[in-house]
Amino acid sequence: MKNKSYFSNFSPFVISCVVSMVLTACGDSSTGESPVPVIPAPPAPIVDHSGLTPLDGDTLAPEEYLAGGDATIFVSNEDAFSTRPQMIADDFQSDGFFTSGDHLFRTPDKDIGPLLSTGSCQGCHVNDGRGNVPASSTAPMLSMLLKLGNDSGLPDPIYGDQLQPFAVQSFTTSDFNSGISKHDGSVNGTELYGEAFPFIEYETITGSYPDGTSYELRNPVYKVKNLSFGPFMDNIRFSARVAPQAFGVGLLEAIPTENIQALVDENDSDNDGISGRASMAIDVFSGETKLGRFAYKAQNTSVLQQVAGAYGGDIGISTSLFPSETCTVQQIACQMIASLESKVDSEHDFADKNLALVEFYNRTLGVPVRRGYDENTQTWDEDIIAGRKLFFDIQCVDCHTPRHITGEAAGSVLGGLTLTGLEGKAEPIAMLSEQTVFPYTDLLLHDMGGSCAVTRETTTGDSCSAGAECMYVQRCEGLADGLIQGNASGTEWKTPALWGIGLVQTVNAKASFLHDGRARTIEEAILWHNGEAASRKEAFMALSKAQRQQLINFVKSL
Amino acid sequence: MNLKLKEISIALLVACSLTACVDDGEDGQQGIAGKDGIAGTDGANGVSAFVTRDDVLKTNANIAYAAYSDSLIAAQSLRSAITTFITVPTEINMQAAKKAWLDAREPYGQTEVYRFRVGPIDALKDDGTLGEEGDGPEGKINAWPLGEAIIDYVAVEVDGDSGPESPANSLTNNIIANTTDFPTINAMTIANAFEYGEDERNVTTGYHAIEFLLWGQDLNEDLSGAGDRDSSGGQRPVTDYANTVGACTSGAGNIVTDNICTRRGQYLAAVADLLIQDLEPIVKAWEPATGTHYTSFIAGGNESLAKVLEGMGRLSFGELAGERINIALTTDSQEDEHSCFSDNTHRDIFLNAKGVQNSYNAKYTRIDGEEISGASVYDLLVVGGHHELANTLRGSLEATMAAAAVIDTKAKTGTPFDVLIQEGIEQANVVAIIDALVQQTDEIEQAIDALGVTTSDLRQDTEEDI
Repeated sequence: MKNKSYFSNFSPFVISCVVSMVLTACGDSSTGESPVPVIPAPPAPIVDHSGLTPLDGDTLAPEEYLAGGDATIFVSNEDAFSTRPQMIADDFQSDGFFTSGDHLFRTPDKDIGPLLSTGSCQGCHVNDGRGNVPASSTAPMLSMLLKLGNDSGLPDPIYGDQLQPFAVQSFTTSDFNSGISKHDGSVNGTELYGEAFPFIEYETITGSYPDGTSYELRNPVYKVKNLSFGPFMDNIRFSARVAPQAFGVGLLEAIPTENIQALVDENDSDNDGISGRASMAIDVFSGETKLGRFAYKAQNTSVLQQVAGAYGGDIGISTSLFPSETCTVQQIACQMIASLESKVDSEHDFADKNLALVEFYNRTLGVPVRRGYDENTQTWDEDIIAGRKLFFDIQCVDCHTPRHITGEAAGSVLGGLTLTGLEGKAEPIAMLSEQTVFPYTDLLLHDMGGSCAVTRETTTGDSCSAGAECMYVQRCEGLADGLIQGNASGTEWKTPALWGIGLVQTVNAKASFLHDGRARTIEEAILWHNGEAASRKEAFMALSKAQRQQLINFVKSL
Repeated sequence: MNLKLKEISIALLVACSLTACVDDGEDGQQGIAGKDGIAGTDGANGVSAFVTRDDVLKTNANIAYAAYSDSLIAAQSLRSAITTFITVPTEINMQAAKKAWLDAREPYGQTEVYRFRVGPIDALKDDGTLGEEGDGPEGKINAWPLGEAIIDYVAVEVDGDSGPESPANSLTNNIIANTTDFPTINAMTIANAFEYGEDERNVTTGYHAIEFLLWGQDLNEDLSGAGDRDSSGGQRPVTDYANTVGACTSGAGNIVTDNICTRRGQYLAAVADLLIQDLEPIVKAWEPATGTHYTSFIAGGNESLAKVLEGMGRLSFGELAGERINIALTTDSQEDEHSCFSDNTHRDIFLNAKGVQNSYNAKYTRIDGEEISGASVYDLLVVGGHHELANTLRGSLEATMAAAAVIDTKAKTGTPFDVLIQEGIEQANVVAIIDALVQQTDEIEQAIDALGVTTSDLRQDTEEDI
């Protein structure tokens, strides 16, 4: 099943013809055949990667309204990303586990740190939605972070694979500034400060549509100063990430691996310009290689791993999956503070039963219902129908796969939930099983183009090599971050799910789009597409202004 | 709610003609009193053979009205004690205000069983109609844990977390100290700052905001905020409300400008006003005969009965056993203690559990001592032939109350909940009430099945429903 599903009822010739018709005009002289499409009869097997009748741009089924199947919630206000589905509320046990998981998600644990990005999950996932980019270049990074690696993807020997800008006292005392980094402040091994102070300065990129309408994008330049533990390794790379919205992951986890693999087209054998690649990664719990589905480069195989990884790297909470504190062996001051935590060594900060509650909460958070559909008349807004057709026609759907089905959603591998502990084997989660859902992602890696370079500069832009004034500066062209992570390259990103994207700024008015929040609007996010997606972006730009708005309105209805 | 004698005799006639007024030998069918049991002379075991579902709904609604009314009455008493205190800020008046707050919690704790059922507390919108869970004033009235740093000064270090979820949602300073952004403090100012930045810890209103303003942070034995937990609540000095020149403090011995104490008093008065304002529409919605929710609820049939049981089950398991007790136990954090400033968490636990028992037994003792009682879920189970379950669930609720009484007594004799949850103290007592609540939840589920109602029918048509 290498064919892209939406056209699998056509012959390969017709596929390429339709593609080229959209972009230029249909007519391939080398074949010498008539450009008039001929529908073969009987048609080839008409199924998509899920074994369902393929969706097309002309028919908008009513069930698309229920984006999350049984996990759909009917809330479109600021609570749209933090609401429990009816099936959870209706079962006292599930309801209770959700409530407890929610409490843990939003409340700082006692043993956070010693180095960290924030004190609780909700500290970054604002209102369970996306994080914010700092309001200015002097404001600290509170709900986004920098991943670190060299040109081979290896972590920094001192700083590890992620920069934690704060020491624990920023969050456990009322003096927030006390844990912010100081140049060489922790080198002596006795005082602990945050690792460094990263900040963003934006350069403006201007451009215009073929119809003459102009636009402006902001291109981030990442700067890092005040390193507390001495300089970074050579060839350091930074990858900035804004916390994404949390809901829907339980459904994405339950999509059968083979259905995702059916969408893989590593060598673009169907010649559609898109070469989806599966991110295969080590599942930390089982040690097996599995399909990566979570995080911006799909390096995490499960919700559990994503949650435990965030507890470890972002909050400084050790778990059975990631038992280390946030200190590397060279961070003596960090280890000293870690030894003072209430739970040390083999006793993890966060017990499995709590981890399983937060995992359950994340998996079962509701997916907001689509807007633009009238339940009474069972009709969609005209604008949405038109926008959806454009979304199909210009082939956004080649990566943003609209529909998936889920298999059986297994219960937590940690065990069966009870309030006071884990008991036996967990039952599958019925609400997430055998669902038809509309996340608009293929969960695959795609080359989005661009490149990055890191330099050392002073605040005035002069080249430097050492000292308190000598910052690290990363400039990139395009979406690239230059960081290898798992088997994703420095230009590859996982297609993010689009469901709920129209409510991102309802849930958190300050939120923005793309992995590092550079896009202030959905339109800007589309304009940043490049690499494999360049032809689709160009097709979008070639639309009339009214059509572009229809397409954006459609995306906002997701 | 007692049925009239004449009705009883008619019903007895009916019951006799439908079955037979003899002991059929099945334990429970006639009760232990044999032919003098329920099918014999009415009332031998307190159950009328003709209690109907709608009777149960009415009693449940009448108790809701009584408990919310009591909450409102007690909130007004609290407001009046606060007025006295801020006018004459003496130690005695501060104690009186604290006592009034504790008294106000007594009826309110028993209303929480009316949550989790799309009732007014969770879903009442400003326009008087019911929306979705989350549209109601519950959060404004009783949200926790607080990031109290948004309201007033906090200690450098506390056993817990005084800030918002993200420091990005911190105010400059705090509302009381920030005269630039908050030149005047009134109900509107603090209501507008509620969940500032969509941050759920930025709780500026409700019982726990008042609690913080009266008690202050619980800084434990050595007042460092990090030392051993003790048997007292917060340590706010009365001088925080001083109204003589040069005497105002923000914490013992920390003299600040006089206007800070004035503003603190204004905040306290305004937040008490808001509490009353938020409770009033709830009472109104539950007013017998005229209340919009009262009338639709008692006419709601099985759907309403399902709500009664859903509130009981969700409070028992998710909210009380889960969030309020088990989380505090597993994290061993004062932050996760429901009433952490006053150390009144033992009452929260007891009263929440009591509310569930009230709903089942259809009994509630008002703050003036009047007892409201009537047709109960227990009765309905018995009438429906589920005697054994009726009795088992009654027993489980009693077991829970017994376990709650232990927590209550420990607290009153020097070991409050925040000490009890510490490892190596008396955690078995805490685990006991969790286990009891889990057990009663199982049986509430069985009651739902036995009564043939289903909670999943709830909310399907809430828009036109109420």
